[in-house]
Amino acid sequence: MSEIDPRISAPEPPEEAASSGTLIASIALKQRAGGIVVPVMTAVLAFLIGGAVVAATGHNPLLAYRDIFNGAGLNWIFHPTTNIANTAAYNLSQTLLQTTTLILTGLAVAFAFRCGMFNIGGQGQYFVGLIVANWVGYDFQHMAPLPHIMLAIFAATLAGAFWAGIAGFLKATVGAHEVISTIMLNWIAIWVGEWLFGDGGPLQNAADKTIPISNDVAASAQLPVFWGVQALQGLDIGFFVAIAALVAFYLILNRTTLGYEVRAVGFNPEAAAYGGINVKKNLVRAMGISGAFAGLAGAIDMLGYLYHFGVSDIPASNVGFLGIAVALLGRNTAVGTGLGALLFGALLFGTTHGLSSSTIQPELAGNLTYIIQGLIVLFVGADVLILYVWNSRKRLRPQAKAMAA
Amino acid sequence: MSEWTQRLENPVSARLRDPAVSGYAGIVLGVFAGFLAIPPIEARTNTWPVLVGVVAVVLGIWTVTRGRRRLGWGAVAAGIIGAALGILATHSGTGNLEAVFNASLVAQTFAAATPLVFGALAGMFSERSGVVNIGLEGMMLMGAFWGVYGADKGGTWVVGLAVGMLSGGLLALVYAWFAIHLRADQIVGGTAVNFLALGITGYFFFQIYHGNYVPQGVSTIPNVHIPGLSSAGFLGPAIGNLNLLIWVGFATVIVSYIVIFKTPIGLRIRACGEHPRAADTVGINVFLVRYGCVVLSGLLAAAGGVYLSDGFGGGTFNDNMTEGRGFIALAAMIFGNWRPFGAFGAAVLFGFSSAVALRLQVYSASASTLFNVLPYVLTLIAVAGVIGRTVPPAADGKPYAKQ
Amino acid sequence: MASDEIVLEMRGIRKEFPGIVANDDVSFDVRRGEVHALLGENGAGKSTLMNILYGLYRHDAGDILLRGKPVTFGSARDAIQAGIGMVHQHFMLIPVMTVAENIVLGTEPHDGIFLDERGAERRVRELSEQFALAVEPTALVHDITVGQEQRVEILKALYRGAGILILDEPTAVLTPQEAKELFGIIRSLQADGKSIIFISHKLNEVLEIADRITVLRRGRVIETVPREGATEESLARAMVGREVLLRVEKAPAQPGDVLLHVEDMHVVDDRGIEKVRGLTFDVRAGEIVGIAGVDGNGQTDLIEAITGLRKIESGSVSVAGRALRDAGAREMLDAGVGHIPEDRQRRGLVLEFSIAENIALHDYADAPDSKWGWLFPNRLIARAGRLIREFDVRGGGPLTRAGGLSGGNQQKVVVAREIARDPKVLIAAQPTRGLDVGAIEYLHRRIVEERDKGRAILLVSLELEEILSLSDRILVIYEGEIVGEHTGEVSEDQIGLEMLGGKERAAA
Repeated sequence: MSEIDPRISAPEPPEEAASSGTLIASIALKQRAGGIVVPVMTAVLAFLIGGAVVAATGHNPLLAYRDIFNGAGLNWIFHPTTNIANTAAYNLSQTLLQTTTLILTGLAVAFAFRCGMFNIGGQGQYFVGLIVANWVGYDFQHMAPLPHIMLAIFAATLAGAFWAGIAGFLKATVGAHEVISTIMLNWIAIWVGEWLFGDGGPLQNAADKTIPISNDVAASAQLPVFWGVQALQGLDIGFFVAIAALVAFYLILNRTTLGYEVRAVGFNPEAAAYGGINVKKNLVRAMGISGAFAGLAGAIDMLGYLYHFGVSDIPASNVGFLGIAVALLGRNTAVGTGLGALLFGALLFGTTHGLSSSTIQPELAGNLTYIIQGLIVLFVGADVLILYVWNSRKRLRPQAKAMAA
Repeated sequence: MSEWTQRLENPVSARLRDPAVSGYAGIVLGVFAGFLAIPPIEARTNTWPVLVGVVAVVLGIWTVTRGRRRLGWGAVAAGIIGAALGILATHSGTGNLEAVFNASLVAQTFAAATPLVFGALAGMFSERSGVVNIGLEGMMLMGAFWGVYGADKGGTWVVGLAVGMLSGGLLALVYAWFAIHLRADQIVGGTAVNFLALGITGYFFFQIYHGNYVPQGVSTIPNVHIPGLSSAGFLGPAIGNLNLLIWVGFATVIVSYIVIFKTPIGLRIRACGEHPRAADTVGINVFLVRYGCVVLSGLLAAAGGVYLSDGFGGGTFNDNMTEGRGFIALAAMIFGNWRPFGAFGAAVLFGFSSAVALRLQVYSASASTLFNVLPYVLTLIAVAGVIGRTVPPAADGKPYAKQ
Repeated sequence: MASDEIVLEMRGIRKEFPGIVANDDVSFDVRRGEVHALLGENGAGKSTLMNILYGLYRHDAGDILLRGKPVTFGSARDAIQAGIGMVHQHFMLIPVMTVAENIVLGTEPHDGIFLDERGAERRVRELSEQFALAVEPTALVHDITVGQEQRVEILKALYRGAGILILDEPTAVLTPQEAKELFGIIRSLQADGKSIIFISHKLNEVLEIADRITVLRRGRVIETVPREGATEESLARAMVGREVLLRVEKAPAQPGDVLLHVEDMHVVDDRGIEKVRGLTFDVRAGEIVGIAGVDGNGQTDLIEAITGLRKIESGSVSVAGRALRDAGAREMLDAGVGHIPEDRQRRGLVLEFSIAENIALHDYADAPDSKWGWLFPNRLIARAGRLIREFDVRGGGPLTRAGGLSGGNQQKVVVAREIARDPKVLIAAQPTRGLDVGAIEYLHRRIVEERDKGRAILLVSLELEEILSLSDRILVIYEGEIVGEHTGEVSEDQIGLEMLGGKERAAA
């Protein structure tokens, strides 16, 4: 994005002068240029480098990836069956369980990006949703299942929206950068969570006060399982909620006036203001909706298969951060996020609990996921530029020829 | 003009009526309200913290009405928080209080603060040259692991320190290339760096050490015993036996201040961070300066990490050992307004908070958690501009493009 | 004053950017101790030429000779070392640093590894006294006035031993008093043997300070004349030229009610400088009022204030009799003000949006585009299709991305959107900037058509021909005030004079 000297005031500016400079505008630029090819290539490159690390440390990368593939249950497509006793089927159900969460945390990041903001606070907003869902799920014991579930989900989603909204509010009023605010809010949520579920904390389980763990969600609030056995952590209907969220994401952005405003502000805040849009209001609103997705993720997880949460679980969870990679890989679109969530869900489960491999241990494979995730996020930032330069050279050459003619 | 108003006009009273003065005074009093109830003063009734807290609140409101709104609300907040903490303290047993707040707390504070000090200085150098570095956490983590690895395989802690710092510097170099050369988004790049570091250190931790604490006998960074300071009294337990890197940290703060504000290279670094085009037009190589500062930030952050594992930690490493300290360091840098001594002060404050939290864990888990949250809340308040304005370098985070 | 020794010569300089030739075979020379003015309108190529001289750009053809020897500058550093200093129009100063620090940056005096602050201060004071440039070395740049900032910039160049100083539109940011002080400084620099290249578009100043004047127009040198014998009229003619553009056929205006009334408006820009100083004027239904002026005299801030994009310090705007104070963009839009912004890509369009989405930029929240927050893309697309046909927008359909259209078609989309809203008042800021002749002709015809439908049209343009061709009434703006009002036939020279700060004369 080389600057054109403003002092020239050329009478004929090249019609595609540097884009308005927001990250989402550049990502959109690159999306037009490369379509689906570039995200796929980014992922492939990341896997290649990951494979090189694996090979360099004495393991066979091809076998390792195959074992991860199987661990994720993706080999199910070769022998489909609904019988959950089958390992591949079980693995797949667990992968989809992870995918559910990642779709939602990915959508959280994606939505904020569409409005030109970077929401790194997905993890904290997820926890807030988790905590509220657990509390509502436990405290209202005598409700009928459907209202109980609705109440818990609603409260958790609202909580997530509020948590992110703080950052949006600070940005709109005092211009505080949302990255800093959301990072701080992440850690505040983590510590508050540890306090709530810890020894003597208000939400610690009533049964055994020596264990720093929360109460169990009441049976009336637990989401029905449709594939598998609940006792063995089956796939719950939260999966459909996530799919619905993908659709909702698409519809909100492309079929509502709210989405129109969000996209306009994300692409070009100056033009949006010229158009009469209230930029500040949209910043707060977009962060709120973004947090709502993350809070919903927390609710679905808590009511769907976690049912309780312990102090030691808090640092181990990283679905909020994975959401960043999911959204960026998916170029902040609904379809992209869905596919990215599937990829990372497979990686997440396939490298840890699902992995049974003689080539590589789960601890190594799990960290491999982090490396691949890091590489993908790193490349997203850069490939934008590479493509832009490549494309602008192609654009300028025919124009120069026309001038000379 | 009457004599009465004439007296009001004299310079001293004019100064005192400046809302900034009352605002800062309110903040100081608010802190003092909490301080009253802990040793050495150890007031035992609620009256004192409440009284002082109320004065702070009043000063805060006065400041708000005089136009310095953010400062005023900060004083009000300080007054309320200070009074609340003071009241809490008066309800604890004196024995408990004295067990928590004693001279060795000072030592623990410095120990907890040192990774933050290194991290905050690292972030400061990078951002002063105009490059945002969110990847401090990752660079610190690299230092923590590879520092222990180096000490183990290399035999001495010196090798460990060198290897650790080098690993941070290399990661920073990769980040610098993406941020400066490819002009990638720096926040995205920094986040990526953190993931990478987590994965790399975790991977090799299991690959080489199979997830166990590093074998016994790894050379650790020694403590500096100051002769002549008795182990009783105050100074002895406080500073008599601090780790070497803690003292190096102090020194680095001073050196950083001198470099940034008293040398030509520091002037150029600051120019690149404020107005890179102006720097370019007087012939400064902005890219080179930025590369240098980012790599330096990697070296420093990693040094903080090496201290964490090989100094403070006694030669062990855990998965994700830094646990967010890189972000607290970032917060300390912001809270300290991108200045070395300010960042140092913030780091010590946050270190104090962590140290108290650790000690309180025995007595009250909830109070312990509260103190852990304090750094983040304070930074949030700082970012909202309550305590003065946090002003980053003007060109911070914007990639520079030559014509 | 000036000797005959030539210290700098630029011969046959050519510089091209994609789509435009900024400098076309430009030659001129500078003598020792001379003040040589480069006169020309915006876009004439003055700044490009000086950026080449200062090493920030590379010329495509031609030579630069310094004291007879050919030189090439790869960077600003080379030019600085060769003794050329430049004071940019937008200052290259760091606000949070002191005056002394800014001046010595890059060539700092040092005491071992330490910065010699005292030495820097001392040196700055010495220079300051030597050249009578009063500055306080320990002051922070963001505390000093603009005039003082400029002196710091000059000292920066002198500190590095500049023998040739380039001043780029130096009085653009100064008050008249500060401008007088600047001229005093220039004269004393001259006396010291320094050569000054003075870039400007202000006739009166150039005639006051320059020894020789080179006029540039559209990248070419028109003439180089000594000050003696040059008059404001002769210079204005050379600058503005006699090129005849298509004049639009239009019937005489039949002005009706006042639809836009601006009363004693004061507007301040982002730097705190008052850019609009008490403007009062009307625009009636069925008339085109053109505001003529050189860029930077307050037009941009005026437009932003009227359209609700900038705060009005004092004064008022009334649309169709309704006074509007503290109105934002939304209120002004709803009051019936249409705005064709001067920067279609930054303000007028969201390039990533389709044509249909851009057309809906103001009205997406109203029926029929949406209802209760739900958007109906088909209706947007249908409306866009109609407008595309009506305005003959080429290069794509309703779903085509706006960024993929040519400049002319992008502007048509903007114009279509504004006109389709049926505004009472239509404000057109540089409506034909960057467009080809065909698009210009179309837009001009369209604007007149809208006038005949009874709209009040306010036209702001830097192209004098456009103003003359379209306007029923012309207001000339200079330094935030209206210095001339003309109805009916008026000569180009007269307007040109007023635009450039010349004194009013009775029609010759």
